[in-house]
Amino acid sequence: MPDVSEEKPDTIQEELKKSVQPKLSDNVAVMEAIMGQSVDVLKRDFMLCGSTDHPGAIYFLDGMADATIVDVVLKSLITYGSERKLDPERLTTADIIRTELMINASVKPVEHIKDAISAMISGDTLVFIDGVEQGMIVSSRGWKDRGVEEPASENNVRGPRDGFTETIRTNTANVRRRIRDPHLRIEPMVIGTRTMTDINIAYIQDLVKPGLVDEVKKRLDGIKIDAILESGYIEELIEDSPLSPFNTVQSTERPDKAASALLEGRVVIFIDNTPVVLIVPTFFWQFIQAPDDYYNRYWVGSFFRIVRYFAFLISLLLPSIYVMLVSFHHEMIPTQLALTIASGREVVPFPVLLEALIMELAFELMREAGLRMPKPIGQAVSIVGSLIIGQAAVQAGLVSPFMVIVVAITGISSFAIPSYSSSLALRMFRFPILLASGTMGLLGFAATFFALLLHALSIRSFGEPYLTPLSPYRPSDQRDMMLRAPMWMLNSRPGFAQDQDRMGHDQMPAPPKKDGSQ
Amino acid sequence: MKIQISNGMFIAMILNIMYAKAIGVTQGVLARAVGQDMWLATLLGTLEGIVMMYLTYVVIRRTPDKDFVQLGQLLLGRWFSSLIALVIFAFFIVAFGPIMITFVYHLRDYFLPDAPLWIFVVTSLVVGAIGCYYGLEVMGRIAMIGLLFMFALNVLITIGSMQEFDIRNLLPVMESGLPRTAKASMHYLADCAMATMMATLVLPLVKKVDIGNGRFGVLGIIGSGMMIIIWAILEGAVLSSEVTSQYTLSCMKLARNAHIGTFLQRYEMIMIALYSLPALFEVMFCIYGTSVCISRIFGIKSNRPMIIPCCIVLGVFGYWIIEDHFRAIDFLENYWPFIALPVAIGLPLIMVLLRVMLGSKLQKKSA
Repeated sequence: MPDVSEEKPDTIQEELKKSVQPKLSDNVAVMEAIMGQSVDVLKRDFMLCGSTDHPGAIYFLDGMADATIVDVVLKSLITYGSERKLDPERLTTADIIRTELMINASVKPVEHIKDAISAMISGDTLVFIDGVEQGMIVSSRGWKDRGVEEPASENNVRGPRDGFTETIRTNTANVRRRIRDPHLRIEPMVIGTRTMTDINIAYIQDLVKPGLVDEVKKRLDGIKIDAILESGYIEELIEDSPLSPFNTVQSTERPDKAASALLEGRVVIFIDNTPVVLIVPTFFWQFIQAPDDYYNRYWVGSFFRIVRYFAFLISLLLPSIYVMLVSFHHEMIPTQLALTIASGREVVPFPVLLEALIMELAFELMREAGLRMPKPIGQAVSIVGSLIIGQAAVQAGLVSPFMVIVVAITGISSFAIPSYSSSLALRMFRFPILLASGTMGLLGFAATFFALLLHALSIRSFGEPYLTPLSPYRPSDQRDMMLRAPMWMLNSRPGFAQDQDRMGHDQMPAPPKKDGSQ
Repeated sequence: MKIQISNGMFIAMILNIMYAKAIGVTQGVLARAVGQDMWLATLLGTLEGIVMMYLTYVVIRRTPDKDFVQLGQLLLGRWFSSLIALVIFAFFIVAFGPIMITFVYHLRDYFLPDAPLWIFVVTSLVVGAIGCYYGLEVMGRIAMIGLLFMFALNVLITIGSMQEFDIRNLLPVMESGLPRTAKASMHYLADCAMATMMATLVLPLVKKVDIGNGRFGVLGIIGSGMMIIIWAILEGAVLSSEVTSQYTLSCMKLARNAHIGTFLQRYEMIMIALYSLPALFEVMFCIYGTSVCISRIFGIKSNRPMIIPCCIVLGVFGYWIIEDHFRAIDFLENYWPFIALPVAIGLPLIMVLLRVMLGSKLQKKSA
């Protein structure tokens, strides 16, 4: 066995620069020099059309290539020619072999070893034949993947149940199946010098704002990194405000959400090996909106959207308001309520700010522990943590019952926000506001809240203001912001899309008139 | 790329910069001067403010891409532009006094009596500096949100005060006579002065300012008048002018008095939270105004490097003013209008005169 240490990286780089040679033994030598003794690289020798004068070899990766396709490749090369009595002497170019011999759907000639290797490690089958100047890449990608399942972090009651998987082509197909529009473009890209991760940029050509796709490509092209293992890598490398705690790139596991974004004129970025796709540009309000808003009737959709806005405010501000009122401005609390709070706090030895911080941190701890533990234990920990420890803490006089209620409502509210990643950001914002409110009362509360608001107003997502359509105010987009207007009123796309018309006018349904006319 | 703000943002900025001081501190001063006619003084002040704002527009009408400082350079050269920048810089330094009186006394006297004064000054300057750092566009956007807050505040105070509203408290009308009411209106006009001085720097950055015939600034003053006169009427009718005149912050007395039903007896904290945004916007614009002017004097392209030095100057002056209540009230009633009005009226008048005198020179330079 050759010594692994002999495979110097610079030697491999030199080999990769080479072209495919007409002599099979040269190509085999190059392949061995590059791939070494990797057990998953399989080589299968064959004789073209059964003729011993025309040896060849195919290379493929075990587990990455579909064995049935590889069988078809071999069958074409060995038996199909002899069955049709083809003269192997005629089969001197990759083009002739592709058109006259191969029955696979996708066969491409390849001239450079680097391209050949790249295709093979992506799951394609590589064919070299003695005397033929080019190699051939036969599409044979096929590996065991997770089936299409309901996304765990984005549940809904009404609507499709399918989610993205770790296979990029399955994901693009899931979106393509929803938008059968020839204007839908899916452009390929590879990022990561070592992982060579496939990236696909999807957009609808006549809807997307001019320049947006170029900007997305420019930012993706600018990424120089060795590995992309998840969409989070890309997200952090393309966002407008990298230091901001706000998410300026939306992520989703739902194909219907991605399709909806495309139809709004936005760009979707698919990344191989992750079920999470990225959507740009992103606006803050999208994190409060859920697909159910559009699948249920508008009354229901609007009502629950308002509930979520309340949940957002509660999860951000409730502990701060409570701490501020109890610590500094108790005269603002109605008397009966103040007495109830005071009686609950009578035995608590901590100042209310410390009590709130302890409880908030304990809640985050339980959430994190519940997430990391094996599922059955995780659920038990959450229930034990929230019920038993909370109850015990109140009975021991360490925290007041009111604080338990406040923290519980805050926690539940944060889970009502449909976007998990943005709810995490919200949870973090709570702490500076809480600290400021607990130390400076109303002054600290107002100052931190407005500083946060100023920051949110200042940031952009791919050139679009983050708080659009509230600020800058876009009247036409208000129909789908705080409330969800009836479908027959949503006749235009968001302001940044190129083609505004979504549907015909006068779409409001009505029963037939008495004279029978519509 | 040149920053531009929308007409709506400009109008919102005018409302924000006037509102916080005019609804309470100014109304208290007016009540002391003309009793129940304070709403008339506010109305007169609004009419005078319209003229003052239009005058500011007239100055830049022919050169809509130049603010007062840049126009000064065009008219008489660098020394004159520096002089104008210095005057505007000084104006905003002085304006910071009444703004701090408004902001600090609201929060300290009614909510945090034990907190040291410097905390209020430093905190407001930090938030203001953040806004100023993000630039005029962000300030315009927060002003739009401030507008929503002001509407909400007006609705809350109206609902909470209607039960005690007694129109007889506003009678007799014009008891003080027109001359006294007109004289008192200068206190409100001093608030308008902040808006017009803001316009001297911001107006050229408003989209399509040249085709609006000055209507956006005028609309801003009218809008402010409408929003503020509600408070003047409520304070007069609910509290009576005698009670209003006893308070430095008469709006807080009205807010404390307001209640909705029997459970929500006090909700002035909600109102103050809403009120904080316009108040902080005033702070923000003082930092912006001073930092822009001082950077022009020193020939620095961006105002950002000057934000912290300006905050220090503003902070020291603001602290000195609010440290002593008597000094603060004395400054507010006896010095502020007499500094603000000559600058806000005099500067546009001088510029208009110079434009008339040097019109041909200006045309050549513009060409």
